[in-house]
Amino acid sequence: MRPNDRKYTKSHEWVKISGDTAIVGITDFAVQELCSGNEGDLVYCDLPEPGRTLEAGETFGEIESVKAVADLNTPVAGTVAEVNVAIEEHLEILSKDPFQEGWMIKLSPKPKNLDELDLLDAAGYEEHLSAEKH
Amino acid sequence: METWRLLRTFDAEPGFNMGLDEALLEGTDERPTLRLYTWRPAALSLGYFQRLAELSPVARAWPLVRRLTGGGAIHHENELTFSIAAPLDHALYRGEVAESYLRVHARIARVLATCGVVAEPRGARRLDSDDDTSAMCFHRSTSIDLAWNGAKGVGSAQRRKAGRVLHHGSIKLATSALEGPIATVADAGTSLSPAAFAERLVAVWEADGTTFEAEEPSATELAHAQARAGWFSSPAFLERR
Repeated sequence: MRPNDRKYTKSHEWVKISGDTAIVGITDFAVQELCSGNEGDLVYCDLPEPGRTLEAGETFGEIESVKAVADLNTPVAGTVAEVNVAIEEHLEILSKDPFQEGWMIKLSPKPKNLDELDLLDAAGYEEHLSAEKH
Repeated sequence: METWRLLRTFDAEPGFNMGLDEALLEGTDERPTLRLYTWRPAALSLGYFQRLAELSPVARAWPLVRRLTGGGAIHHENELTFSIAAPLDHALYRGEVAESYLRVHARIARVLATCGVVAEPRGARRLDSDDDTSAMCFHRSTSIDLAWNGAKGVGSAQRRKAGRVLHHGSIKLATSALEGPIATVADAGTSLSPAAFAERLVAVWEADGTTFEAEEPSATELAHAQARAGWFSSPAFLERR
């Protein structure tokens, strides 16, 4: 079971509220899709500069594996407050710990309550993954 | 039988080629689209994240574009280029990226077999065409790349965006000035034009159960491609890295 202290998107991002901050990353499933368990297959990650304002669903960055470039989309609107620059140099973090150390951006979110948004809880995300596999 | 859309756009300008693929990626057609195309003039395309400075001065002298897809540089000469645009939940693309490559490559290998080419995923071996110092796609290989005669013969890369995928590929009919000793269809003694190879591909995929509806790009797609053509060869995009 994935962490139930956050919400998920069908496109495999997660968002967690911590105080006045929304923390955004991608799930282990997204990482697995890109690199099939070979952490060395992740080759580049482009994250935004702090201060950028994002709408919900907007692309905030891109990640490249050996065989695919994929967009990174924010589940919530807000202004980028902090970026996990360590990822850009150490992409293996995403394979090892996508839900904690592998966070990507911290936002000052417009909505403070994720329940207002059309997002999945952990159980709903698991159900979505099961449906996607079939 | 599954119905796909088929576009043939031969001898198109490099920036237009990238613009039309972008239009297909951003499109809404639920049918998968197979686009078969060639380039005039022959051009070199950079991978989306590739540094321009990686290219040799000789390579940089060719007409240049940057692709939306990742990977290394490709010299689009003596090849059939293909793109597939489809919803990400299509059976060909569902699940891990690597598995989707194997499915697409299996379809291409069946076409190559009609030319006498026995193409297989590279697996764990190292290829004679591998060169760690080269910026060229065909000089870098992964276990899922199609190879024959100890060299890489099909280059491909994907872009995944907003629930859709664009899969680019280059099938080498003969080698190019910048790619040297790579695997080509000509290795098997089969000399085919890109258009002739394209017809074989369509025939084999149809025999495998795909029905193609041959169309021209829509007015909307053409307008997008023409409006965006300049961007893909612009200094701003080429020098983004």
